[in-house]
Amino acid sequence: MSRVLKPFLIILALANVAACTQVQPWQRGYLAKEEMAWKTDPLESALNDHIFFSKEASSGGSSAAGGGCGCN
Amino acid sequence: MIFSKTHFSLLLGAVSLSATLSAFAVEEGDSAPDFTLPSIVSGQPAISMSELKGKTVYVDFWASWCAPCLKSLPLYNEMYKKYQDQNFEVVAINVDNPVEDGLDFLLDTPLDFLIPSDPDGETAELFQVIGMPTSYLISPDGTVELVHMGFRNGDMEIIESAIEKVLAGN
Repeated sequence: MSRVLKPFLIILALANVAACTQVQPWQRGYLAKEEMAWKTDPLESALNDHIFFSKEASSGGSSAAGGGCGCN
Repeated sequence: MIFSKTHFSLLLGAVSLSATLSAFAVEEGDSAPDFTLPSIVSGQPAISMSELKGKTVYVDFWASWCAPCLKSLPLYNEMYKKYQDQNFEVVAINVDNPVEDGLDFLLDTPLDFLIPSDPDGETAELFQVIGMPTSYLISPDGTVELVHMGFRNGDMEIIESAIEKVLAGN
């Protein structure tokens, strides 16, 4: 590793830290939009879950808690 | 190895520092931060926390995209009417950006209390709001008596009993 390249890589990595920011609860307007949801149609997703359950004899694990406005 | 152990821990430290810098939320027992915000309705006077000193104030952060917020606001309006003659004020800070989204909701749901607008989230940042909606019950001496996050069925009883406790202490 050259003496020049190493500090350069470190500075580059540190500069990228600036991107490690949290979306604050009051900034989630766009994320709360309907089209931002993984599953936009609850009926279709319920049907898919039912088909999956019938075929695989297992259910769940298809969604995660939270999201949206970060309140529940 | 590209990075030494020291460099790696330096990087890790910087990442965790950036994550924790904003982790000081307003809690019960703290004194409420002072803020001045314009009203969401143009032409109305600005709303300032220092002007409300001596009153029991219920500060709520809401947005038109937050479903539980929209559920809570009409109920807060009833609560406001119930206690307004006891030196009680509701300040529902709207964080919608664009502000028009918030105004659209208010066209269908007229509310009687103070509604400041904070589209840049400066006051939300001051309070370090932990989720939407979050509300703060502030006693006349400026102490935060209750921090309430989210809005579910039965929450009104919790909020109203806290308000009555503060009002009784006057």
